[in-house]
Amino acid sequence: MWEQSDREIVREVLNGNQDLFSILVARYERPIFNYVYGMVRHRQDAEDLTQEAFVKAFFALKTYKDSFEFSTWMYRIARNVCLDYFRRQKIRSFFSLNTPVGEEKEGEVEDFLPSDKDPEEGVLEGEILERVSQAVEKLPWKFREVIVLRYIEELPYEEIAQILGIPVGTVKTYLHRAKEKLREILGKEFS
Amino acid sequence: MMEGKEKLDLYLERLPRVEPLRSFAPAVMAEIQRRRRPSYRRYKRWVVALGAAVLFILMLTTNLPLTPRLELFGYRTVRLVFCSAVRNPRTVAVAGDFSDWESIPMERVDENCYTLTLRLRPGKYEYGFLVDGKWVPDPLSPRVVSDGFGGANSILVVDGDAE
Repeated sequence: MWEQSDREIVREVLNGNQDLFSILVARYERPIFNYVYGMVRHRQDAEDLTQEAFVKAFFALKTYKDSFEFSTWMYRIARNVCLDYFRRQKIRSFFSLNTPVGEEKEGEVEDFLPSDKDPEEGVLEGEILERVSQAVEKLPWKFREVIVLRYIEELPYEEIAQILGIPVGTVKTYLHRAKEKLREILGKEFS
Repeated sequence: MMEGKEKLDLYLERLPRVEPLRSFAPAVMAEIQRRRRPSYRRYKRWVVALGAAVLFILMLTTNLPLTPRLELFGYRTVRLVFCSAVRNPRTVAVAGDFSDWESIPMERVDENCYTLTLRLRPGKYEYGFLVDGKWVPDPLSPRVVSDGFGGANSILVVDGDAE
């Protein structure tokens, strides 16, 4: 079946067929949600921020340039929404004793245990995966971001560079340093 | 045993992906519709700010009684009274340099007497009354100067604490 490209849909939305925007939402809600969740690590907040990112994208659609993929542009908007979120959290945590980010840590990785291994090995692997996941959470924002975009979103270096607005070489440097930092956090088992 | 570097990559590749519990499209489209609707609330702060700015400008630049009790910005309340020698004049007005010599109609208080309350900054003003279109200096004012046309203007002095 013939499927309209993102650019065609954007053009149609701008021409007044605004309901078509829901196709773009359906197309990118999963990766954008995963990216946002990877950054904020809180399901409810991630849902709200994902919705906000799409609403912002709709109202900024006139500024979308064909030179970018729609997905890249969408990631950039989601990134800005996340940055705003962290700024707000920073202000809020300044005035209160609440934990700013990072709840819902337990039970995330169990669903991703390899099913073809014996249970004991599975539990061990699950524990390691949990430790890796927690170590990623401890990374500074810019390192965590490249890890999420590269390993969870599985994006190529070029697209990550476009999303972050930095050269490809810098993306590779960030990734290298992020992994070094992870090895440092995880200890000798990974070094 | 896996190499350290490979092992980290393998685990990173298997980091948990989460599925959204709902489709975002309906909520996004509903939110877009909601934000497109013109809402008074959205403009409320601008309306309030604009109103306050207009009021502030009016207070600074006009004689309107916007600060009735407080003598802010140096304005003083001055009550002019004119009792005409002519019985039942049709129109009585006052004009002076405080009104750029535009005539301001006065209020009738009894058969021959008229009054007008002004808000003026302290200073010296020339003025006179227009009784049925005829220029008449204030008979109650002791100070009079020539108006340069062969007639006379009265002098009104508004000092710092005069009412």
